Amino acid sequence: MSLTVPAVPHEPGRAPESAAEVVGRLEDTWRARPGLRGWLSSVDHKSIGKRYIITAFVFFLLGGIEAAVMRAQLARPENGLIGPDAYNQIFTMHGTTMMFLFAVPVMDAVGLYLVPLMIGGRNVAFPRLNAYGYWVYLFGGAFLYVMFFLNTGPDTGWFSYVPLAGPEFSPGKRVDVWAQTVTFTEISALVASVELIVTIFKTRAPGMTLNRMPLYVWSMLVQSFMVLFAMPWVASASMFLAMDRLVGTHFFNPAEGGDALLWQHLFWFFGHPEVYIIFVPALGFVSSIVATFTRRPVFGYPAMVLSMVATGFLAFGLWVHHMFVTGIPQLGASFFTAASMMIAIPSGVQIFCWIATIWSGRPRFAVPFLFVLGFVALFLIGGFTGVMIASVPFDTQVHDTFFIVAHFHYVLIGGAVFPLFGAFYYWFPKVTGRMLDERLGRWNFWLFFIGMNVTFFPMHELGLLGMPRRVYTYLPETGWGGLNLLASIGAVTIAVSVVVFLVNVARSLRVGEAAGANPWGADTLEWAATSPPRPYNFAFTPVVESREPMWQHPAELPAVEGLRTDVREVLVTTLLDAEPDSRHRHPEPTIWPLIAAIATAVLFITLIFTPWGAVIGTVLLFLAFVGWAWPRGKDHQEQLMIEAES
Amino acid sequence: MTGFRIVANVTELPTTTFGHRSPMWWGTIGFIVIEGSTLFICAISYFYLRRNFLNWPPEGVFRPALTVATVQAALMVLSNIPMAMVDRAARRLDLRAVRVGMVVCTLLALVMCVLRALEFEALNVRWDSNAYGTVAWAVLTAHATLLLLETLESLVFTALLFSPNLEQRDLAGASDNALYWYFLTLVWIPLYAIVFLSPYVM
Repeated sequence: MSLTVPAVPHEPGRAPESAAEVVGRLEDTWRARPGLRGWLSSVDHKSIGKRYIITAFVFFLLGGIEAAVMRAQLARPENGLIGPDAYNQIFTMHGTTMMFLFAVPVMDAVGLYLVPLMIGGRNVAFPRLNAYGYWVYLFGGAFLYVMFFLNTGPDTGWFSYVPLAGPEFSPGKRVDVWAQTVTFTEISALVASVELIVTIFKTRAPGMTLNRMPLYVWSMLVQSFMVLFAMPWVASASMFLAMDRLVGTHFFNPAEGGDALLWQHLFWFFGHPEVYIIFVPALGFVSSIVATFTRRPVFGYPAMVLSMVATGFLAFGLWVHHMFVTGIPQLGASFFTAASMMIAIPSGVQIFCWIATIWSGRPRFAVPFLFVLGFVALFLIGGFTGVMIASVPFDTQVHDTFFIVAHFHYVLIGGAVFPLFGAFYYWFPKVTGRMLDERLGRWNFWLFFIGMNVTFFPMHELGLLGMPRRVYTYLPETGWGGLNLLASIGAVTIAVSVVVFLVNVARSLRVGEAAGANPWGADTLEWAATSPPRPYNFAFTPVVESREPMWQHPAELPAVEGLRTDVREVLVTTLLDAEPDSRHRHPEPTIWPLIAAIATAVLFITLIFTPWGAVIGTVLLFLAFVGWAWPRGKDHQEQLMIEAES
Repeated sequence: MTGFRIVANVTELPTTTFGHRSPMWWGTIGFIVIEGSTLFICAISYFYLRRNFLNWPPEGVFRPALTVATVQAALMVLSNIPMAMVDRAARRLDLRAVRVGMVVCTLLALVMCVLRALEFEALNVRWDSNAYGTVAWAVLTAHATLLLLETLESLVFTALLFSPNLEQRDLAGASDNALYWYFLTLVWIPLYAIVFLSPYVM
């Protein structure tokens, strides 16, 4: 059997004869199943992406409510709104929610929705795995909140340092809940990263060489590789912690030769790249938005790609800068200072490329673009304080103070949440078919921008004045009351801006202006699909001849035909040059990923209470995967092939 | 909406591909990276915790026994021969040879699982005795988990090879399974050296 058959050139320029027929058959083959069972069985990257985004946004709101409660408590000295125990749980829940249940999942979620559309594909490479990843994430997040409402929420901070989090100082199940939630979310993030890497490597539209890939797709590729190398560290660390607590191992117990600092190394080897795992996709949003709203290709494409890749590598060389006060050798500290300053270089290169693009284009100041400008301003401030605390003497002074809180909120909100809101405004019409309202959008932006600065800028000063983070109250004599009140007023402003956003979404879903396929006149392939896209995305797989396919062929894209329409089939292309290479069968909707996720949840949750959980869970998981993998044998064409061969 | 102008036809492309041409091969590589990282982290932790001890194993703890573990390591290396034959048979779509090879390999995997249970005994230390015992168990358990999952997967896959619902593209799965097997068995060799041999030299 010959394995290398090139695509057969067809009479060039011919319009598809039976386009309507092809569309009709695709509609039949790719149709979503009806009813609740159909909903639970979906393997469409768009349905799952939407659920992922909405779930992550719900966690964002919950994390935001926790932040608001903390700001209310700290608004004046010796406030009695909540006590120390509740405060410990709430700040831990806030950090854990925002990092593990919002920031990483939402970035993956948007990627899982957009990447297949942007590369001209029909779905992600492993659609059932994608569904499994979502359910595992949902169950992990729900588990954390159920336990929180049962007063068993974790209370040792989002990085859960030992020995505080060890069996001696944190008896009970609170820390176990944290450790298992982390395991849930790591699995879903790892699954998403494999998913995205293979989707990007193997299912790009013909002609979309790596050199023509949209910058956003590059950003998701870099992010996915970072997840692949970073997440196993925290998954292992949290498993070690759980074992120390459950079966009496001694990983972190100094009395028996274990080591508390091992935890910090394992955690931060994940924890620092984590920041960039959140930030790199945001760079992709910014590049997409800048190109569209200046109507210019982003300046310096190779420099942009290399900067993202460099950021991905350098992010793994910084973890010890979280540990400057643990008594590490001075030479080690100097190395990590240098590395921490070095990562400012690729970020700087990208900022200059965007400025050059905006400078040479004719910017349209629509809401997505405003959020990008907000990002540049806020991220610069966060970046400057980052370079400051990369220096050991300064870091020693402000370690564990509100200065650090101010720094990382500027980096994370400025660097990731602002671009994310820009992305919501930018791609909302693609996802829903309707535009978000510009006027409400401007209110959303300005309230957020002002509120953000009013909340977090005073925290720099509070940190320099010596206010430690994670204290539930402070004395009036400290003189911190005024700045804390100001920060709390800022938090109210942010809350109002988020409410404006929700109103805008609710209103626009009903009465928003109809969007059409390409409302912004953008350059990438997702805008060639209908808004919202059909289950098969594109009737024909587009062929790409440049980095800006939609600007090159705004009316009519070149495309290939010949994929089967009676079964779900996708085109697989080569890694570097995206030449058509094979046709690949695509799974039907199935309930098994959900069942496998339930088995996974049983495994992790029972493991908190008994080591037998491992046995029970493994048996269930095994049965679920047998159901998942067993072939249904619907495709007689394929079966006939093997009979002929054997 | 943008229209389409047909410039090529892909009807003639194959539906079964092997190696790096197949998405599943890349997926397998992804999971090898993840699981390889997990094993690497266990190994790193082993050496990190070693620094907290004067003697390794600590005083009062016997060194691990070598017989079973050495047989296991040899078996793991040798099992690559039948698995490589499965891989090659799958690539030439030889269903009979794939069936025979997979039966042999699955039996070997079951033997490895039994040997693994004995290897825990051979460590001569409990997981909760001290950090040495903890981290030695961690390395062994991490690899044992992967071995158990691979054994279960081989069982299911071998059963599938005899199912009337078998499709040609499932043979590509045999080849991807072989890739994972090479990783699982060969990665054990350095881990074996760390857990069983290094206490004799460190």
